[in-house]
Amino acid sequence: MSVTTFVTDKAGLQKFYEAIISSNETYAPVEKSGKFEFKRVMNLSECDPESAIDKTMSIKPLFFPRSAKIMKTITTSAGTDVKETVEDPLAGKRIILGVKHCDARSLQVLDKVYLWDYHDTDYQNRRKNTVIISARCDKAGQHCFCTSLDYDVENMDAMDLLIVNGQDGKVYIKARTEKGEAFLKELTSLQLAVGSQQSAEEEIKKQYDAFAASFRLKMNYKEVNEKLGKLFDSPEFENVSANCISCNTCAFICPTCHCFKISDEKIKDSGVRYKSYDSCNNGYFTLMAGGHNPRPVKYRRWRQRAMHKFVYYKERFGVNLCVGCGKCTISCPVNISIFEVVNQVANA
Amino acid sequence: MDYTKQIQEIAAKLFTENTIDIFIGYRMNGFDDNQVPVLITDPKDISKLVFTSKSVFNLTNYLKQEHTRNKRIGLVVKGCDSRSLNMMLTENQVKRDKLFIIGICCEGVVDESGQKMQNCTECVIPDAVVHDELLGTPAGRNDYKINVDIAELEGKTLVERREYFEQIFENCIRCNACRHSCPLCYCTKCCIDQESSTLYSGSNTTSSAFHALMTWSLHLAGRCVDCRNCEKACPSHLPLHLLHKQNEKVIYENFQEHLAGVIPDDRGAFYKYSLKDPDDFIM
Repeated sequence: MSVTTFVTDKAGLQKFYEAIISSNETYAPVEKSGKFEFKRVMNLSECDPESAIDKTMSIKPLFFPRSAKIMKTITTSAGTDVKETVEDPLAGKRIILGVKHCDARSLQVLDKVYLWDYHDTDYQNRRKNTVIISARCDKAGQHCFCTSLDYDVENMDAMDLLIVNGQDGKVYIKARTEKGEAFLKELTSLQLAVGSQQSAEEEIKKQYDAFAASFRLKMNYKEVNEKLGKLFDSPEFENVSANCISCNTCAFICPTCHCFKISDEKIKDSGVRYKSYDSCNNGYFTLMAGGHNPRPVKYRRWRQRAMHKFVYYKERFGVNLCVGCGKCTISCPVNISIFEVVNQVANA
Repeated sequence: MDYTKQIQEIAAKLFTENTIDIFIGYRMNGFDDNQVPVLITDPKDISKLVFTSKSVFNLTNYLKQEHTRNKRIGLVVKGCDSRSLNMMLTENQVKRDKLFIIGICCEGVVDESGQKMQNCTECVIPDAVVHDELLGTPAGRNDYKINVDIAELEGKTLVERREYFEQIFENCIRCNACRHSCPLCYCTKCCIDQESSTLYSGSNTTSSAFHALMTWSLHLAGRCVDCRNCEKACPSHLPLHLLHKQNEKVIYENFQEHLAGVIPDDRGAFYKYSLKDPDDFIM
């Protein structure tokens, strides 16, 4: 596969974005009461593809919506008719602009579970039909620690196009996958200049180094992962979770939390089955029909959360479930940081 | 407003005299100038305690949790927090003799950007109403002010209001953080978690959010103390105070200027019945 890098300037990038928005179903970060959410946009002026990382929500809802209709039933005198397939509003061909590294990474993580033994076809279609255009952050947010985790941020295959603001004032647009390459070819009207491969790579590397140096939080992931694996019975979990109010916000905001529940809503003769978010922070998450709850107290639920993120998923799928985006810490009403929690437990 | 030293001294004394098992206060979050709640069980952590105008969270929330039940607790309460504590005492959720309460004469707290919280600018009772020790100089009761947002809301017709709230609730993700952060939502099984219920289905559709939030606000009518824990916890930044303030105003005007939790063992607007109760606002 040939991988091309185009060089342009800020004005060229704006034109590039405009061209994409005008001819495609495009989603991009749109500001609403201080937060950026990924929404359908018609004009570049509505959105900001370079929104600040600590104010931007994840792209998870575009692949795993907060509530998805998965079945419809209609009851008549002749019996109940069940329609298993419900039209999926997110299944069309679409482009997402301004996706952060952590978000792109989270899709790779979600792929492991949603395309595992059972393939979630809705998810699969949404993934297949989406082109991810990622703008790399220039600076890390206060709670970011993505570079500390054991993946190569430089070489991720979840983003189809990577846009980098070079320190030389130029903008580099790099196709990273065949999907990205094909998409760029369609945009021939823009006549983007093909840059020298070597100098472009150097600039992209330089920008990455500056970005990587801006992190406040750094951890030795390998060590934390190994230590945590042996600390299931650590009493420290009780201390770190003491001020948690079990509010679920972290799980709902998290780009990789993927637990869901099924509920039915019925009005008169027609019913809809929904698949909606759920969270292991809930006391009733593991509550069984007979009344037994294997995780009856808060610290056990927190332990599950921390261990699932940093140990279990890695054991099963080979990747870490936490992508280090810091969104949970920002949203937490009592500011609990998962970075602090796992480090505190591992080093207690 | 800085009572860090006094609170540390009192907490140290309580641990030395062995009158408490847990002390609930605030500590710096360790990365900026904001604070997080801390539950101290080991006296050597007392030096972490702070109290300034950044001590925002209503700590009485922790009294409803399973790991603090039946423990002897020392905690810090501001004016609004003390009112929710009064409500919890009235509703037999905590026992007064298990608590050591440090009351604060609050001068108002500020949000993350350093701006005074909206509820503090219209606070009626800034001094802690229940306490074993009171810090600061009591400022006395302020006049009841009508919230500007409520004035705007009341300008709308009922249909417009419904549309307005539907628009707001569209962004609700049904994480229930509002409920969990509320000190007075202490039910172990909440009605909106009933899996068999169609009204409160687990889905995040607007109608389901509408029912859940409306039910929640009505369960807090006459009990809410406007501490805004819910609004601070909401990841979607919904203006949840509109629901509670509107209820508060209706109750204030129709139930002899009742404000929740001001008097100890206050039976609340809806706990007692009087023939003189007005009913002309009931549809």
